[in-house]
Amino acid sequence: MSFTDQEILETIRMIELETLDIRTTTLGIDLLDCADPDLESTCEKVYTKIVHHARALVATAEGITRDYGIPIVNKRIAVTPAALFSAASGASDLVPVARAMDAAAKEVGVDFIGGFSAYVHKGFTNADHALFESIPEALAVTEHVCSSVSLATTRAGINIDATARFAEIILDAAERTREQGGIACAKLVCFCNPVEDNPFVAGAHVGIGEPETVLNVGVSGPGVVRSAIERLGPEADLLSVAETIKRTAFKITRMGELVGRETARRLGTTFGIVDISLAPTPAVGDSVADILELMGVERTGAPGTTALLALLTDAVKKGGAMASSSVGGLSGAFIPVSEDAGMIEAVRVGALSLAKLEAMTTVCSVGLDMIAVPGDTQASTLTGLIADVMAIGMVNHKTTAVRVIPVPGKGPGETVEWGGLLGTGIVQDPGAFGCELLHRRGGRIPAPIQSYRN
Amino acid sequence: MTRRYVTAEDVRRANAGEIVVDAETVVTPQAALAARAAGITIRTAAGPYVEPPPDRGPDANRAARPHDLPEPDAESGGGTGVVITAVGRNRPGILAELTCALGELHVSVDNISQRMVDDYFHLALVVSLPPESQFEELKSSMECLGGADDYVVRVMHERVFRFMHRI
Repeated sequence: MSFTDQEILETIRMIELETLDIRTTTLGIDLLDCADPDLESTCEKVYTKIVHHARALVATAEGITRDYGIPIVNKRIAVTPAALFSAASGASDLVPVARAMDAAAKEVGVDFIGGFSAYVHKGFTNADHALFESIPEALAVTEHVCSSVSLATTRAGINIDATARFAEIILDAAERTREQGGIACAKLVCFCNPVEDNPFVAGAHVGIGEPETVLNVGVSGPGVVRSAIERLGPEADLLSVAETIKRTAFKITRMGELVGRETARRLGTTFGIVDISLAPTPAVGDSVADILELMGVERTGAPGTTALLALLTDAVKKGGAMASSSVGGLSGAFIPVSEDAGMIEAVRVGALSLAKLEAMTTVCSVGLDMIAVPGDTQASTLTGLIADVMAIGMVNHKTTAVRVIPVPGKGPGETVEWGGLLGTGIVQDPGAFGCELLHRRGGRIPAPIQSYRN
Repeated sequence: MTRRYVTAEDVRRANAGEIVVDAETVVTPQAALAARAAGITIRTAAGPYVEPPPDRGPDANRAARPHDLPEPDAESGGGTGVVITAVGRNRPGILAELTCALGELHVSVDNISQRMVDDYFHLALVVSLPPESQFEELKSSMECLGGADDYVVRVMHERVFRFMHRI
C-alpha cells in the first residue's frame, strides 16, 4: 500500500493546520439496572457502574491519538435519562444522582457526562417532575453534569406546560450561577424529537433502544471545509462548492469512523454511530460562519444565509453517509453562537438576529444554541422562544433544540466571557413584545397531521 | 447473593460474617467500606472478591472480532504499514539519520519521496513494521529525532491514510 505525496500532505495539513479533530468519543452506558428503592443505593450503583465501564475510556482515547495522530478533543459519557433509573426510589430530590454522576465523571477524567434527563413531551411521571425540580441545583453544584429534556415530538406534539416550567428552570439555573454569567444553562438543553445516540453535550444521553454500552463519535472539521472552499476560490459555482464540501466531509467522517471502530474494539464494546455534525470552536478558522461567508454571504445572517446553510448541511450529510457504516446522532451543522468566532462577530455587527437564527434552524441540525439573552428576560418570552423552535422540529420531522442562557445583570449588546469551548456570548435582544397569555394557557399543542405534508 | 451490584445497604442487611457473591457481581466502593468496618468478608465461591471485567452487554461480542466491518481498500492488504513524515529546513544527513534509526529497529522502507520548497523539505517514508516490533517503540525513537529548530518527524499508522483516501 502506497500513498501519493499529495495524499500524505493533505492528511497532515488537515490535522496540523486546519484543526481536523475528533470532537468527542462518548461512551454510552445504560443505567436502568441501577434502579433501586433506596436513592442512596441508586447513587452508589450509578457511580460504580460508570467508573467500572469508563475507567479505561480516557487512556484508550489517548492511545488512539498516539497511534493514529488524530487529536480526540473530548472524552465523554452519556447515560440513561436519570428520571428513568431514579423512578423506583420515589425520591423527590434527585440532586444526589447528579452528584454521583459528577463524582464518577471526575474519577474517570472525562470532561462532561450527559443524561440528567427526562422525556416529558406528552406529560410528567413523578420521577420526571422530581428531575425537573432538581435541575437548577444539580447544575449549580456539579461541574461535569449535563441535563437535557424532551419537550416535544412529531408524534406527541409540544408539551407547553413542560416548556413553561422549563423556561422558569432556565432562569433559576442562570441565577444560581450569576457570578459565572449563568453558565449552568450552557449545560442545559431542550429538544424536539431528541436522538437516542447523540454523542454531543449538552444533549448526550442513552435512549432506551440503545445497547448495554455503546461508543459514539462526534467529528469536527469546519476548519477543513473552510480551507477547501477557500482553495476552490470565488469563481466556482454552487454545485462545485457542494461537491467540494461533500468530498471533504467524506474524509473528515472517515477519521471519525476509524476512531469509532478502533476505540470500540479496544474497549470491547459496541461501536454505535458517527455524528457527522460540523461542530465549530471559538478557535480562529474553526467556524461554520466563516464557511457560509466564503460560500457567498457578506456576513452570516445576511439574506442567503439559510439557503447556503441548507446546501452545507446537505452536502456534509451526503459525504458523511458514504464514509461511515453508521451515521447517527444529530448529523448536520451546529450553529452554537458563542462557540463560533464568526457567529459572534456576526452578532456583534448586527448581521445575525434571533429571528434569522430561528430561520436557520429549519435547515440545520440544532436550533437556537448557546444564545445569550438578557438576565431579566421573562419566563413567558423564553417559553415562546422555545415553543417556536419546537414547532419547527415537530412539523418538519426533525430534531431541534434550544440552549439559551439568560445572563444575569446583562442587557442586549453586552458581552459575557464563558471561556474555553463555550466562548463569548453577546446578549441578544428577544424583542419588546411577549407571549404571557401563551405561557399562562399551558396545555399541549397537539401532534401535527402526518398525511398532508406541505 | 445473586446481585448485579452489592451496595452498602445490602451489606448492612446481610447480617452475616461473610457475603458470597457471584463472579460477575460488582461491589460498590461504599459496600466494600461498610463490609470492612463491620468485619464482614465479601468473597466469591472461587475465592476472594475481585472486580470482574466490565460486562459490555450482548451486543459487544461483535467488537471482539477484529475489523468486522470491511476496511477501505482491504484487498490490497496492509495493516502493519506506517507512514513517517519529516518536515524542516534542509541540511545534509537528515535522510541518513532517519534511515539509520529505522535500520536499528529492523524496519524496512517500502517507499520514499521528498519534495523541496525553497530551503524546506518534506519527506515521506512508507515502512512495514516487522511482526515482532512495536509501533510505540518506532514512534518514540523516530519522533525524538530532529528538534524544534531542525526538523519535525511524525509517525502515523497507514490505516489513517487508507481510511481518508481510499474507498
